[in-house]
Amino acid sequence: MNVFRRFRKNVKNIKTKRNEKEQESVNNDEAVLDASLSETLSILRTRIGTSSDFIIRELANAESGNSQIAISYIEGLIDQKQLSELMEALIAGNTRFSSFSNNPVNHLKGIIPIGGIKAVNTLGSLLTAILNGEAVVAVEGLPGAVTVSISGGIRRSVEEPSSQTVVRGPKEGFTEELSVNIALLRQKLRTPELRIESRTIGRYTQTRIAVIYIQGLANPEVIEELLSRLDAIDTDSVLESGYIEEFIQDKTFTPFPTMINTERPDAVAGNLLEGNVAVIVDGTPFVLLLPVTFFKFFQSSEDYYQRYDISSFLRIIRLFSFFIALFLPSIYIAVTTFQQEMLPTTLLISLAAQREGTPLPALLEALLMEITFEVIREAGVRMPRVIGPAISIVGALVLGQAAVQAGLVSGAMVIVVSFTAIASFVMPNFNMASAVRLVRFALMLLAGMFGLFGILAGAVPILVHIVSLSSFGVPYFTPLAPLRWSNLKDTLIRVPWRSMKTRPAVISVQNKVRQSSFKQQHAANKGPEEGDSSI
Amino acid sequence: MSKPTIELPELVSTLILFEIGSTTLFMLGSEAKQDAWLAMIIAASIGLALTLLYLAIYYRDPERDLFELCRYYFGKWAGTIIGLSFIVYFAYEASRVLRDLGELTVLVLLNRTPLLIILLLSVLVVGNTVRYGARVLFLTSLALFPIMILSYLFLGTMTVGTGLIEYEQMRPLLEQGWKPIWNAAFPEIVAFPFGQLVLFLVFFPLVKVRRRLRRPVLTSYLFVAIFLTIINQMNFLVLGPHLVEKSTVPLLQVIQLIEIIDVFERMDVLFVLILFMGLGIKMAAFFVGAVTGLQKITGIGLKKWVIPLGIAIYAASLISPNYTHHMWVGLEKMPPLFLIFQIAIPLFLFLIMLVYRKPNNIKV
Repeated sequence: MNVFRRFRKNVKNIKTKRNEKEQESVNNDEAVLDASLSETLSILRTRIGTSSDFIIRELANAESGNSQIAISYIEGLIDQKQLSELMEALIAGNTRFSSFSNNPVNHLKGIIPIGGIKAVNTLGSLLTAILNGEAVVAVEGLPGAVTVSISGGIRRSVEEPSSQTVVRGPKEGFTEELSVNIALLRQKLRTPELRIESRTIGRYTQTRIAVIYIQGLANPEVIEELLSRLDAIDTDSVLESGYIEEFIQDKTFTPFPTMINTERPDAVAGNLLEGNVAVIVDGTPFVLLLPVTFFKFFQSSEDYYQRYDISSFLRIIRLFSFFIALFLPSIYIAVTTFQQEMLPTTLLISLAAQREGTPLPALLEALLMEITFEVIREAGVRMPRVIGPAISIVGALVLGQAAVQAGLVSGAMVIVVSFTAIASFVMPNFNMASAVRLVRFALMLLAGMFGLFGILAGAVPILVHIVSLSSFGVPYFTPLAPLRWSNLKDTLIRVPWRSMKTRPAVISVQNKVRQSSFKQQHAANKGPEEGDSSI
Repeated sequence: MSKPTIELPELVSTLILFEIGSTTLFMLGSEAKQDAWLAMIIAASIGLALTLLYLAIYYRDPERDLFELCRYYFGKWAGTIIGLSFIVYFAYEASRVLRDLGELTVLVLLNRTPLLIILLLSVLVVGNTVRYGARVLFLTSLALFPIMILSYLFLGTMTVGTGLIEYEQMRPLLEQGWKPIWNAAFPEIVAFPFGQLVLFLVFFPLVKVRRRLRRPVLTSYLFVAIFLTIINQMNFLVLGPHLVEKSTVPLLQVIQLIEIIDVFERMDVLFVLILFMGLGIKMAAFFVGAVTGLQKITGIGLKKWVIPLGIAIYAASLISPNYTHHMWVGLEKMPPLFLIFQIAIPLFLFLIMLVYRKPNNIKV
């Protein structure tokens, strides 16, 4: 709770400097509230201000007519149904008991029909409770107040993830609500070893962050390092897991992501079982997974649901697409500009005939087309959905077919750029595709200047850079370099589940055995006489 | 003493790629004509003895690298001077590889680009690799290892498969007796490439498993020696004694002869990229060796030495006025000098180490 304490101290400092004339008790969050109800309410009103969604409902005593109980909450953060239950109980209690003065907390606990009740006595914890969507019940004569957890409000329901779709596999995706997301994981991993560490980060946003791992599978050093990095974050706001990702990644200056984000609970559960750690940030469906290696970005959770041979084939296709997306335009530039002798004669002639009519050199032509494509793509993401068809007509017809016919670009270049673009969408994880987009332009420039030699001069530093990266201490290019033989079974290919006897050796350091031999088990179950049958 | 960070597969792959490096560019032992393979085997055997010597040095004191060994056993002054001369030697070897790389590019890929610019770009790329230190270099070569080996395997299969090899060229055996064979083997082939393994005295102490290097190092040495002998002889058998002597890069000429289904005709252009990887790793390894030495001797960080040494290597690569001169210097004039570093000093060092007490009793 370091961050939290620091936050309160900071707020305290700022406030005391600003309103030195105001009462000490209003500003001091550590101050213990006294027993006077009217005083507590006035302090609350001063701190939260006259916001219209902050509601204080006072209940007067039946005999004296003075306020004896007050309920305060923020309208949009609570569940109306639970609130009315709470109100009913309090009103009934208020008429039944003439005075709450004799141990009021126990009285309240006796009449409120809701689970989460806590007595608090400092202003700071009172404010936190209200801002987290709890109702605060204050009673005349009780120092402090009682918080009742009735948080609710408007949240999206669990839907199919929009950015990571699968053909076969669970259709549910994470939502913006932290507790729902944790529940989705709990439903998949019904083990007491599933552990959750919570942090609150962001001075103004007070965003709740949950670190989830499976005790005994995750590497304790990684968890310790992760928590210490999280604790070091002192920032105004955390509105998305991307904020956290940039703070805690090993190396800032790299186009390559060293954490995976996913909105699929099954992907997170699968990775937790391999010893990874997940970071869920309240307010976003994108959950961070770490540590990851380069090859993880070419794996989809669907790989484990469909047949292993098809999955292996698809993984190789994805890696191939990665190379296409990275190198194809630059290879085209290099070959047509410098190394024409590499092409078979017929192809060379047809290419030369196409290029004859185009005004620009291959490099400029490719850059022009690539940038055009990036523009179309960005427009496709940002524009209102209704205009979608218009963009596709303009993109496909005008910039493709018509540009070739007008003699602005060659037909081969349109094919190259389109294939590159499609190949970059094959990667299951969007981050890696973005990295490729950036690097591609540098490679195109080098290819335009030095041909194949330039491509190599660009590719080698990229490889060296990738190899030098690490994600929470795990080298990024494992299991190829450094070599881990046992991990290769689930990297470029996926072996059948029966053969996946161990977990990935780099990420989980303990409890390496995943399952016992299916064959032996099956034989044992069947009994000795038919044990060695077909399987 | 730096922390050991290198694992065995990395060491093995780097050693193999380092030895392949620029070797396949040249026809070694062309004096011996059809008996070049015998010259290779003799040189490889001498190289094997040298490798055993380097391993013996490492096994006697696995904690110290070449420069620390020099300073420890030769004394501070002599050790520093010998260490510096090793740095000069490594840097010079790096500059030679750089020049090979540049000339190869001009020859095959970029005929009209000035050599100066190609050399500059290459030294930048390699210097960038060196900046990350030995571990990343070794990891990179491990990552490139499968590509390189598969490409050479593909090349070998294609050459044999398309029937380019004329086995009759092997005969007659020992036409001129042993003399030309010995002349070709020693000192040229010993000094290049086999004796260059002396560089690994810098890297052995970085390997995580201590004192269990003998088998992997010797196995990979034998593998690479046989591999180089085969490739070398393949050039000879395809091109014949006259062509092989005259061609600048015999291997590329061999590849140009390979033709499959009209589409794969100029595979030499692609294969030159594979050659670049070998050259780059060899150059980077020498570069890292030299930079490590400077770091050990001066105590100034590794990264700060990369730029000055890079400039020095760049300048040294321009010494020769043309490629023929460069080849003549490298393959005929320099080898006796190289042998001082590859044989004389290590042997002397080992003798001193034998006289010294066991290193286990010495507190550092």
